[in-house]
Amino acid sequence: MSEIDRREFLVNAVGAAGAFAALSIVPDVLPAAPRVSGAPLNVGVIGIGRQGRAILGELAKIDAVRVTAICDSDSSRLEAGLRRAAGTEGFDDHRKLLEKNDIAAVVIATPTHQHKQIAIDAVQAGKHVYLEAPIAHTAEDCREIARAARGAKGVFAVGLEGRSNPVYKLARSFFRSDAVRDLISMRAQHHQKSSWRVPVSDPSREKAMNWKLDKEVSIGLAGELGTHQFDVVHWYVGQYPTRVRGSGSIRFHQDGREVADTVACDLAFGEGGGGAHLQYMATLANSFEGRHEVFHGSNASIKLAWSHGWMFKEADAPTQGWEVYANRQQFHNDEGITLIAEATKLASQGKLKEGVGLPHPSLYYALADFVRSITEGAPVVAGAEEGMRATLVGLAAQQAVLTGQTVEITQEMLGAG
Amino acid sequence: MLARAEDAVVRVAAAAMGTRFEAVLCGRDSASLRAAGEAAMEEIRDADARYSLFRRDSLLSHINRTAAERPVRVDRETFAMLACAMEVNALAGGAFDITLAPLMRVWKFHDGSSSAAEPASAEEAAVGMDLVELDEVECTVRFKRPGVSLDLGGLAKGAALVGAAAVLRQAGVTSALVHGGTSSVTAIGAPPGRDGWRVQLGRDAAPVVVLRDMSLSVSAPSGRIVERNGERLGHIIDPRTRAPATCGIAMAAAIDESPLRAEGFSTAMVVLGARPMGAPPEMTSVILGGDGEYRVEGARADLVLGAGRGRPDHETEHMN
Repeated sequence: MSEIDRREFLVNAVGAAGAFAALSIVPDVLPAAPRVSGAPLNVGVIGIGRQGRAILGELAKIDAVRVTAICDSDSSRLEAGLRRAAGTEGFDDHRKLLEKNDIAAVVIATPTHQHKQIAIDAVQAGKHVYLEAPIAHTAEDCREIARAARGAKGVFAVGLEGRSNPVYKLARSFFRSDAVRDLISMRAQHHQKSSWRVPVSDPSREKAMNWKLDKEVSIGLAGELGTHQFDVVHWYVGQYPTRVRGSGSIRFHQDGREVADTVACDLAFGEGGGGAHLQYMATLANSFEGRHEVFHGSNASIKLAWSHGWMFKEADAPTQGWEVYANRQQFHNDEGITLIAEATKLASQGKLKEGVGLPHPSLYYALADFVRSITEGAPVVAGAEEGMRATLVGLAAQQAVLTGQTVEITQEMLGAG
Repeated sequence: MLARAEDAVVRVAAAAMGTRFEAVLCGRDSASLRAAGEAAMEEIRDADARYSLFRRDSLLSHINRTAAERPVRVDRETFAMLACAMEVNALAGGAFDITLAPLMRVWKFHDGSSSAAEPASAEEAAVGMDLVELDEVECTVRFKRPGVSLDLGGLAKGAALVGAAAVLRQAGVTSALVHGGTSSVTAIGAPPGRDGWRVQLGRDAAPVVVLRDMSLSVSAPSGRIVERNGERLGHIIDPRTRAPATCGIAMAAAIDESPLRAEGFSTAMVVLGARPMGAPPEMTSVILGGDGEYRVEGARADLVLGAGRGRPDHETEHMN
């Protein structure tokens, strides 16, 4: 565990225990929308692919900001973005967007291997930066980004959405209480049915547009998808894994690709990998049970599925007072207690069931946290250091998948460098 | 693994909006067709995530929670959809209306999971497109009083098809058919060597519509049925009477370049039992009367072939 995480772990463990003891049910964790004071914060979005468009949709809901510029090097994507986003100016080069003095903040959602230069240019232009995770496709780029962020005048946030998600924050307070108790094991998966290929009308753009399938720059399922889910585990257990094993193959999409469509990883925690393990599966050939993370404890298990979360108690675990009126859901032989943000308030109004599922996607909460860090001086929820370490773990997992070898993750690797 | 260069056909599907969307794409290279088809399905799932009345984290739920307090900024595509709803509402004499959610609760068409309070009666419900204010310059939507709630119904399917078709065209696809639940259809180009995609309005001897860069929406008063005082009521509400429509027609189909307008007019025709007086000539309509007769009207009546002429590529079902 690095020093920063140790400090963060202690602060949060105390905070969570305190909050838990003080409340009869669970902490109220649905954050208010960022405050509007004076002129809105002008934001530019760089990279208008699928994630960029989702970002535009969530930023539109935040009254404290206004997206005034968007940028994409692909003209058809830029046009599609301009068709959707009202009142924005389009740019085909991020440097031109960064020259605009009235833009205070940028959100970077380009292909992963293009992040470094854009992030460094944005920091040098004095902009607040929200950088999508994984932050880069090589360890060297990760460290360069983190170094640049340390010298940044503005806020530097990384899109590790789990850390901003109200359901995940709520579940974490349970995880860190006696409700889960001793951590036994963890598993996570990202299952979807998709070729991961995007349509390209201009054949000369094929390699650039389908970067996720270009083995020169792609960091595969373990890197692109795993990074986000591994970070949820880092944040929960306050540790990073020490070794990872992996395997991968093309099980379904036999279309000439060289990037595995199905991977499995085993991430071991503790010295010499002697602690708990996280089993991870990702595939593009089957969508069953989608994306989720599960923590198995000696008193209960927690299942997290981004907009929803549940706790499954062991029969011999102590009963909490609030369980009497908790909302429950049956999964075959197991009964899950739904983890509901604002449960205290809703329960007092007899509306607990209405709180199932979040009012916004995870992405909204991460962007709202970024805005609050700029306009209200709130602490950055996931900064460049967390982004760097999460991505380095994702890269190690991808290396294990590619080589079939066990990859050691040392403190030196994850250090500030 | 690839099909022959000139005749690749790819099918993709997605579960969205409580139904199954499907696309058939024809072209040269199956890998790129599949990529385009998947992008179209993602667009449809995005539309579901944005416009679902039953998802707490949808843009529609956000609008319904917030727009009575302050104007809600939306993207241009959402704005265009709402503007189209306004337009069809005006052209159809109020017979198409997306503010009926409170009435749907009064008439128990939705399950009890919705968070909004149920109005005491149909008369008290905050219903009517005049309660919705659109600001084109700011790209915002606002409700003029609390209690207003939008339910896009078939319009959301139309919006999904608009997005899917845009993605396919952008990807260079020149021949594709996309449908949602078989009742909402949009066609790009024609199948290789054909004049258009042939879609049959039902089974057996039902007419066939030839679609080429056109959209079709089919509505019927059947589908979900509620029983009330022994009377069986269809699930389409007449905004003018604030009660389930009791028209005598069996099916209405609208053919238009815009999937959104097709959805609006097909619903309006089931409510009215006839083609609206104000319908623009470029919207072609097919109505199956209670007498079993088909009535075809509009400038492109030539797109509708009589019963039994030619094998269809696709059959619709009478579902909204």
